[in-house]
Amino acid sequence: MIPARLHWPIGAVVVVVAALLPIVMSDFTVSQILTRSLILGIAAASLIFLASLGGWVSLAQIGLYGVAGFAVGNLAQADGGVKVFAMDMWLAALLAIIVTVVIGLIIGVVASRSEGIYFLMITLAFGVIIRLLFEKATDLSGFGGINQIIQPEVLGSAQLQPERIYWVCLVISVLVYLGVRYFARTPFGLAFQGIRDNAARMKALGYNVTLIRTIAFGIGAFVAALAGVLNVWWNTQISPGTIDIRPVIFLLMIAIIGGLYRIEGAWVGALIYVILDNRLRSIDLVGERVATALGIIFLLIVLLSPGGVMGILESLSSRWRRSDEPDQPAGDGDGTAAAVVAGD
Amino acid sequence: MNVRDKRWGWLSAGLLIIIIGIVAAACGGSDSSSSSAADTAAADTAAADTAAAAGEKKIVMGFLSNCEGPFGPFWDATLAGYYTALVQFAGATPVDPADPKAGVTGAMVPGTDVAIELNTNYGCSDDKADKALSEAKRLVEQEGVNILIGPLSGDEGIAVANYAKTQPDVTFLNGISGAQDTTLKVQAPNFFRFFSDGAQWTAGLGAYAYNVLGWRNAVTIGDDYSFPYTQTAGFVSEFCSLGGKIDERIWPALGETDYSSYIAKLPDNVDGFFLDVGGTGTVQFVNQFTEVNGNDSLQGKVMGGAFISNPAIIKELGAKVEGVVAGSALPSDATDANWTAYSDAIKAAYPEMVGNAANIFLAGYYNNAQAAILGLQAVGGNIDDAAAFQAALAGVEIATGVGPVTVDANRNAVGPNYVVEVNAMGTKTLFTVEGVDQSFGGAFSADTPNPDRDNPECVAGNPPPWAASITK
Repeated sequence: MIPARLHWPIGAVVVVVAALLPIVMSDFTVSQILTRSLILGIAAASLIFLASLGGWVSLAQIGLYGVAGFAVGNLAQADGGVKVFAMDMWLAALLAIIVTVVIGLIIGVVASRSEGIYFLMITLAFGVIIRLLFEKATDLSGFGGINQIIQPEVLGSAQLQPERIYWVCLVISVLVYLGVRYFARTPFGLAFQGIRDNAARMKALGYNVTLIRTIAFGIGAFVAALAGVLNVWWNTQISPGTIDIRPVIFLLMIAIIGGLYRIEGAWVGALIYVILDNRLRSIDLVGERVATALGIIFLLIVLLSPGGVMGILESLSSRWRRSDEPDQPAGDGDGTAAAVVAGD
Repeated sequence: MNVRDKRWGWLSAGLLIIIIGIVAAACGGSDSSSSSAADTAAADTAAADTAAAAGEKKIVMGFLSNCEGPFGPFWDATLAGYYTALVQFAGATPVDPADPKAGVTGAMVPGTDVAIELNTNYGCSDDKADKALSEAKRLVEQEGVNILIGPLSGDEGIAVANYAKTQPDVTFLNGISGAQDTTLKVQAPNFFRFFSDGAQWTAGLGAYAYNVLGWRNAVTIGDDYSFPYTQTAGFVSEFCSLGGKIDERIWPALGETDYSSYIAKLPDNVDGFFLDVGGTGTVQFVNQFTEVNGNDSLQGKVMGGAFISNPAIIKELGAKVEGVVAGSALPSDATDANWTAYSDAIKAAYPEMVGNAANIFLAGYYNNAQAAILGLQAVGGNIDDAAAFQAALAGVEIATGVGPVTVDANRNAVGPNYVVEVNAMGTKTLFTVEGVDQSFGGAFSADTPNPDRDNPECVAGNPPPWAASITK
């Protein structure tokens, strides 16, 4: 592990360097690589938050991300959405987040009573229901999707001033990262982790397990909603295809590539995924078989390091440290949940 | 540390190095692609260098189609159409006549020494609007194309046409996406469609159902997205204008494989069905429909949109679809000079693809790529002034398998449509409706509701001008 005293300085350097990237990178890289990575990273963070602290792998996060995106498209005046509200974009975003959290809490009430594969299936079912709902309820999703969703005025145009939405995504990413780490150390966060480790014991201690889980799911929905709002500001468009089964799988891949039990893995996984998605097709051998190539890389990472790229980094770091301390027992490098988000 | 730990450690480190390598390569690639399209294109031909030295913008043409999803099987056909136009009109040579993916070399603007640089990092979508949009952005902003041919599918076209508005210096020519809104409603000044939309492909069908088959009420069944909405809109508008009634409109999800629940609830007391289930669903639907209804043929009971007359579908379904009357933008049985020239061009470029001459996916990309080349010819290969190039493009008349095609004020094709009957050999043209424009004889305009599950409404009166001439 990197010594704890270096965590904050390294984090600060990463954020400063990231903030300066629009100065040296092309508009395309800023918009289509970096901004897209940050948005997917926030969405993946909502999944990793639940996985690392709660031991849940939720497949509903993309659905919730879509709820927020469609809500923005309908509340603000966009082509294909309901045009009766025509709200200010900030107000539309705020309401979209509230709507998403409420739906997240409803899903949480149902899903919080289950664990393992049953939780996975229930959340997958909710994700599919949300997609089908928008596919059928075309009053809410338009017949060709919702198009021409504009950003708040202060952000300018996603095409002409891509650095503005990038910086907003960067700030939100940092806040989400810090927020999740802070949450993990609060009494509520500790209780949530206690439930992950032994729900029966926590219940015996007097904790309301279902309530804590439901609220935690609502917090995950809040993070997913942030990503959903940023996505439609950036992409100016959303359709039911945005939240079908492929994005659900890709988000899970992002989380696993980055490291399912390290919150920073969300952005690392997203950056790797976006770059691979963008560049792999330039390789003659890959061509249009990008999904296949992504699948092979995913398999390799899972086979070699169940902790994802963050697990590899951790493993290398531990190995390097052990070379000075040969008698210390070896770590598994998987980045276990306890070390993760709670540890510092 | 045991040996196994050490091995996995090295493997993990190796994997990390590979990933970092890819990331570094990608960053390098991205950095080299500047924000300006003109700066991005790599000079790989002497003529392109000459153009650049003369201060003219290089011409970089890109391609966007579906390599995955329900229309993935038509990837090669769309590539073949695109490259056939370049071979026929820009003097290019196929790298491998058996494989359109291998590309072509030596494409030049006709009558000039200006090269057309062809981007081969093809845009690969999957029928989803946001994927097509992401690929269009990659091609325009990263690969630096200034002429983009594509996309393939309805919702994709709407998304790309909206995106075109933000890139006025780039010229977009549709591939074969057929949603009406793409040109009629979005109206991006730099988005062109030199192939008719889905509604235009049904011109004559409603009148044939009412006047010839004697249908008075019908049910429509189509995939639940913008292209079948558009096709159904054409049929409904014409059929209802003559007095016909639509009892129900049924919309299975695109990509559905089990249609039994939809088929089971089809009413018995209707004169016929308008079928517009496409992609990989046509075969499943027809097989299940004939199984449930216990008949071997759909003749007289079903009329089809664009999908059912596709050569691949006819080959698969055989006798079940023989006798079905359908609307088609292409006459596969034509033997006139236009069709011969078109099919000969395909045969010369890609001999194995000549059987796809009547495939709209091939023809759509052929038409639009050809228009781009003729537009370039009209401005002498100089696209420094994008608006001038687009103005020239609006006046281009292309030579297609169905004769000359031009575009209207919304930059959408005006051309003939064919009512065909499916037979064992393919299709037989029953009659031609000439000069069908996007307004469909006045039924559609920028102010009419978008074609959707319920629109247009079934309203009698004001039939299109061709309806009266379609009789028994």
